[in-house]
Amino acid sequence: MDALRDELLGKLDNKIAFTIPVFGGIPVPESVVVTWGIMLFLVLLSIICTRRLKKVPGKAQLVAEMFVGFINKFTKNTLGEHWKPFAAYFGTIGLYIGCANLIGMFGITPPTKDLNVTAALAIMSAALIYGASFRYHGFKGGLHKFVEPMPLLAPINVMEVVIRPLSLCMRLFGNVLGSFIIMELIKLAMPAIVPMALSMYFDVFDGIIQTIVFVFLTALFTQEALE
Amino acid sequence: MSIAIGAAIAVLTGIGAGIGIGLATAKATDAIARQPEAADKIQRSLLIGCALAEATAIYGLVIGIMIILFVK
Repeated sequence: MDALRDELLGKLDNKIAFTIPVFGGIPVPESVVVTWGIMLFLVLLSIICTRRLKKVPGKAQLVAEMFVGFINKFTKNTLGEHWKPFAAYFGTIGLYIGCANLIGMFGITPPTKDLNVTAALAIMSAALIYGASFRYHGFKGGLHKFVEPMPLLAPINVMEVVIRPLSLCMRLFGNVLGSFIIMELIKLAMPAIVPMALSMYFDVFDGIIQTIVFVFLTALFTQEALE
Repeated sequence: MSIAIGAAIAVLTGIGAGIGIGLATAKATDAIARQPEAADKIQRSLLIGCALAEATAIYGLVIGIMIILFVK
């Protein structure tokens, strides 16, 4: 029982993959290395899909066009007028979080299991939301948005600057961590075929849902900041 | 011993999520039955609502894990 618990606790930590021998050793965690792998995969995918673009698209170009069209339509429906700069961000974030969550299916620890990765994603989304608010309304307009519905709600609006990214971060982290723990326990208890069926729910379904929720919530908050 | 009790109380937040999502799904199926053409929009709203409600249960899970791991 103790060996089981120690093994599980060992898997929950963020392991250091290697150390760059510069400036007294910079430790590189495992999630960063897996992120590099995902970046390489997505860049290669993009290069393959956009090689030799033709007017009548071939199969790879058709998939890429469908995806871009879907993201553009979603951004236009949610944001309204100033949708163009944001579509690329939502598509990239969706692709990265989707790949990061689904990579657990192949036995690699998902990078979103690391709290630092989800915190970085949440900070990026927060910078986007409040940056959009100040960019499209000016400095005074941005400050005015904090008293927008009623001046009585100003403390809540100020608190939401911290609470919204925090909830985005913890939602993604908690879901991925919970799925990971349950899958590890199942793999320890029942070897061979059964983990595959349950992995369909925990890894695939949950991962895709969390991707959709993260992107949709960021789009929703941005729409609130832009109006 | 108190760590186990603390973690168990933390995970009780699952009750709220279960009840909330159950009620939401009931209303969503009612709405779809009443107006099948709007099924797509209703499904989308249901998905977002369920993910948001699930988040509070996940907060409880994360606190439970942190209590087990970090409390001496």
